[in-house]
Amino acid sequence: MTPAATPPLLEIRDLVVRYGEIEAVRGLSFSVGAGEVVTLLGSNGAGKSTTLKAISGLVRPAAGTILLEGKPLEGLKPEAIVRLGVAHVPEGRRVFPGLTVRENIMLGASNRSGLGKRALRDEVEAMFDLFPDIRRFGDALGWTLSGGQLQMVALARGLMAKPRILLLDEPSLGLAPVIVQAVFAIIAEVRRRGTTVLLVEQNARMGLSVADRGYVLETGRLVLSGDPESLWANDEIRSAYLGGRAKAEVLAAG
Amino acid sequence: MSGTPSPVADPATAVPASPPAVRRRLPLGSLAYAVLAAALVAVAATTPLSGYALNILMQAATYAIAVIGLTVVLGLCGQINLAQAAFFGIGAYAVGLGTVDGGLNFWICLIVGLGLAVVLGAALGASTLRLGGHYLAMVTISFQQILTLVLTNWIPVTHGPDGVPNIRRPALFADGQSYLALCVLVLAIVGWLVWHMPRTRLGRAMRAVRDNELAAGVSGIDIYRTKVAAFAVGSLLAGLGGGLFAGSFTYISPDQFSFAESIVFLTMALLGGVGSPVGAVIGTALLILIPEWLRFLKEIPGLYLAIYGLAVILIVVFMPDGIWGFLGDQVRRLRRTRPAPPPAAELTLSQGEASTAPMLEVSDLSKHFGGLKAVDAVSFTVARGGIHALIGPNGSGKTTTLNVLSGLYSPTGGTVRLAGQDVTRLSPHRRAAAGIGRTFQNIRLFRSMSALENVVIGAERPNNPLGAHDRAALEARARAALAFVGLEGRAEEPISGFSYGHQRLIEIARALAGNPVLLLLDEPAAGLNSSEKNALTVLLRRMAAKGLTILIIDHDMTLVSDVASHVTVLNFGRRIADGVTATVLREPAVIQAYLGEDAAAGPAASLKTDLAPV
Amino acid sequence: MDLILQLLFTGIGIGSVYALVALGFVLIFRATNVVNFAQGEFSMVAAFLMVVFAVDLEWPYWLSLLLTIGGMALLGALFNLGVYYPLRHRSYLPVIISTIGASIFLANTTLALYGPQPQVLPPVFETQGFLLGPVFLDSQYLLIIAVTAALVAFQYWFFEHTLVGKKLQATSQDKEMAALLGIPVAGMIMLTFVYSAVLGGIAGILVAPVLFVSIQMGATIALKAFAATIIGGFGDVTGAIIGGLALGIIETFGAAYISVPYKDAFAFLVLIVFLVVRPQGLFGERVAEKA
Repeated sequence: MTPAATPPLLEIRDLVVRYGEIEAVRGLSFSVGAGEVVTLLGSNGAGKSTTLKAISGLVRPAAGTILLEGKPLEGLKPEAIVRLGVAHVPEGRRVFPGLTVRENIMLGASNRSGLGKRALRDEVEAMFDLFPDIRRFGDALGWTLSGGQLQMVALARGLMAKPRILLLDEPSLGLAPVIVQAVFAIIAEVRRRGTTVLLVEQNARMGLSVADRGYVLETGRLVLSGDPESLWANDEIRSAYLGGRAKAEVLAAG
Repeated sequence: MSGTPSPVADPATAVPASPPAVRRRLPLGSLAYAVLAAALVAVAATTPLSGYALNILMQAATYAIAVIGLTVVLGLCGQINLAQAAFFGIGAYAVGLGTVDGGLNFWICLIVGLGLAVVLGAALGASTLRLGGHYLAMVTISFQQILTLVLTNWIPVTHGPDGVPNIRRPALFADGQSYLALCVLVLAIVGWLVWHMPRTRLGRAMRAVRDNELAAGVSGIDIYRTKVAAFAVGSLLAGLGGGLFAGSFTYISPDQFSFAESIVFLTMALLGGVGSPVGAVIGTALLILIPEWLRFLKEIPGLYLAIYGLAVILIVVFMPDGIWGFLGDQVRRLRRTRPAPPPAAELTLSQGEASTAPMLEVSDLSKHFGGLKAVDAVSFTVARGGIHALIGPNGSGKTTTLNVLSGLYSPTGGTVRLAGQDVTRLSPHRRAAAGIGRTFQNIRLFRSMSALENVVIGAERPNNPLGAHDRAALEARARAALAFVGLEGRAEEPISGFSYGHQRLIEIARALAGNPVLLLLDEPAAGLNSSEKNALTVLLRRMAAKGLTILIIDHDMTLVSDVASHVTVLNFGRRIADGVTATVLREPAVIQAYLGEDAAAGPAASLKTDLAPV
Repeated sequence: MDLILQLLFTGIGIGSVYALVALGFVLIFRATNVVNFAQGEFSMVAAFLMVVFAVDLEWPYWLSLLLTIGGMALLGALFNLGVYYPLRHRSYLPVIISTIGASIFLANTTLALYGPQPQVLPPVFETQGFLLGPVFLDSQYLLIIAVTAALVAFQYWFFEHTLVGKKLQATSQDKEMAALLGIPVAGMIMLTFVYSAVLGGIAGILVAPVLFVSIQMGATIALKAFAATIIGGFGDVTGAIIGGLALGIIETFGAAYISVPYKDAFAFLVLIVFLVVRPQGLFGERVAEKA
């Protein structure tokens, strides 16, 4: 299942993350190859968001390794990690409410140095080509936007970092189904352009629709992995979300 | 005792037969204290002291009373009060003006001063209804400044900057020596009272408010009244100290009661340890006596206070619990363990009259945050007895609904009826009084207290038909609740010593001790490992077996389907399913809500397999 | 009518000083959630520094000004490192108490070093002022109003039109998200403290010739600035400016028509009234603004 020969862009080994006493992630291992879109699925509390936070440096792992092209990320501050090319679009979007859409997107390039004012402005305008629906909101303040618009802005902002890998946390959260379609259409386009994405989603259907591979987490452990079609057809995925008699077993990654 | 809903329990049998009267521990501590205090008073009255030494000691004693007042409002209740010197001044001026200008009896003036201080202190405390944190700090500073301005400028009444000289002491204590003895006596009494305060009902309420306001509210404590009481007590003591100070120094002027003095009081409290009267005395003694030994510091104006300011910063950064806070921990470890209490009785839960009417009726409940409809016209009922689950994917509005039900949010629309009573607009502590208990997803225990004290607070909820007012009965009930969740043996341990899973159990015990008619559990399984979850399932079933009505939110579907007979499903703030658990969990709408739309349009079309029913 | 116009001018003048101090105070609050009770001391220290350089050492005004502003920047940086940074993860109570301690330390160290005598800082201009119709425009007050207007304009330009300004706003609005984008949060906070200290310092230098330069001036100005921010809506930048002006006017009219000795009390009364009646201030309803 893994891309042959080339080492993975991102590698997670035996990751353990604790919040006080609670183990949110218990020994997680998986990898993401360059150019892939990998989706982490699982119900709430499964540890998906925590995994992303560990990668981007918002939380410190209790144990385990996170390697970006072989370089360890654990213990680095978020500012340093994003400079290495890991852009995190967090859960809830977190668009700056008092800044305009343009300003938000512009700040997405804060991890890059040596970018002139004109070049920056041009890049922001170019970004609107990918997100035509929000071009007319360019000068609107963050707090005036709807959930779907905010998701687009957050995505554009993340892409401005020209990331090696984009971490997307629950883009469908709180959005109406129609809006979710639009957002995932953009994610599909991002995928087509070759950006590596690690996507976390509760909505298994949408999450798998744009993925090359998927993993299912349950209470901090990996319980299923595979390509989207077989995962979707698997009964176990339903029990991971909805409980029931079919008890999932831990499978080796890959 | 009963396990099924029964007619109103006969009070005689409802409370478990008291264990053989737990003998009141011989108040050795209090006896020793009384002896020590008497000795000190005697020493003060008889040892010949120079006028100078007398002054210093009287100042220390009267200041200590005011600083003890600070330990109540700031240390016990966690409310910031930067106007302590103002209340000190109110007491002082009441005595000063009353005896000198009014020619009144010292004691009458003192009492008037106390009354004034209490009333104004309570008024200041009343501002906590709307304010907390730095707003409260500013209000207290403003009050302090206004009082200083009044004292300085209202010359016809207060004599202005000239102050009030020749204050006369009461006839009985006219000479310095006996007056000092009086001050020491009052200090000893105040100290003893405040020493015991944390263990009284009001003291417990204050500590709960300080530790976790939200949890205090849902446990039935009237947060607002508790804060006002804390302010009132704090300013009462400051006024008392001030009145005595006026008699000791016999001359008062406005600059003795300025904002700088409030900071001095604060520093004394922080240095000694804001948590106890012992700390207050230590801090006061140190900060009055040390500068006397380092008198040269006062030669250079400002140096003394500059060091004060620096000391405040250093104490806050490096020694937040103060000297006694640090030492007190060591002392506590040396204290002998209490004799093992008798085994706890079975926990009783009285459910009131049997009825087929639903326990909870939620009608058209809505909660909007600006434009966001977090909860949108949701209706459901919860039958008496048994476990009902409220589920839905992330962001569906479950937690918001629970917060509305427990009174933490007020609804935008709709009604909530508990056993027929409309509780829609009640504050959290009144809902607790009506019989709603709740636990929190992120565990809200009172961290400075033991497990037992946490649960006792739960037992103290107002209108608890199985509640009591005497300490022994409350403790017995608390132990019964702890025994029910399996933690009886560790009742005296502080919260920090318990694992996460056990802390959750203590929170449940606290709610049970209040004998709720409806228990709201917010993600009780969050963060538990599988064996803990199994234990939780068993516990929940035992609770239901006692006739308790439980409404549970959780994401763990296995747990939910194991314990809940009925389930209501929310998505995007709306109810999408309601009914018997097994059936509802198979409904396509529910499965779609969790796993995603089957819509054919867009990239999802690449996934051609349909979702077959389980 | 003439009196009213005159009072209005004076009120706006003194209100500008409050606005400046309030601005520095609000900026720190927005970036760090800290209520800096030592903000007024920044003004006081700057005024004393000016006295030392310009009056005692008799150095040229512009040199003294530069040195003082440099000194204030340094003070802001030290304040950040010594008072805010060690407590940045603690709750509001220790931080409030710590800034109060800092305020007392600063005021009394100045007292210890300089002595209790109030000092005089001469006004900048030789001419006292001029008449415009019935109103006498004092030159120092004119300077205060002009400098405040210039600083507000500068701040507007800085926050609206420079990248650093946007990064500062972002840090104020969501520190964690700013870090996720690569914005150096610690550096932004340091910049905020330095800038606020300089703002407070400038306010002190401007108002010094009008009042006496005394140890107490810091505390009085700070509390007025608090009142201003409460009136305007806590945490709101425009509100701080308008609140400052409003307070200056209220106070001046109050002193003239009601009572002079209780002049200071007006600020506190207004503060209490607002806190009790309308804690969110005049502009509190507005959702997060641009700085």
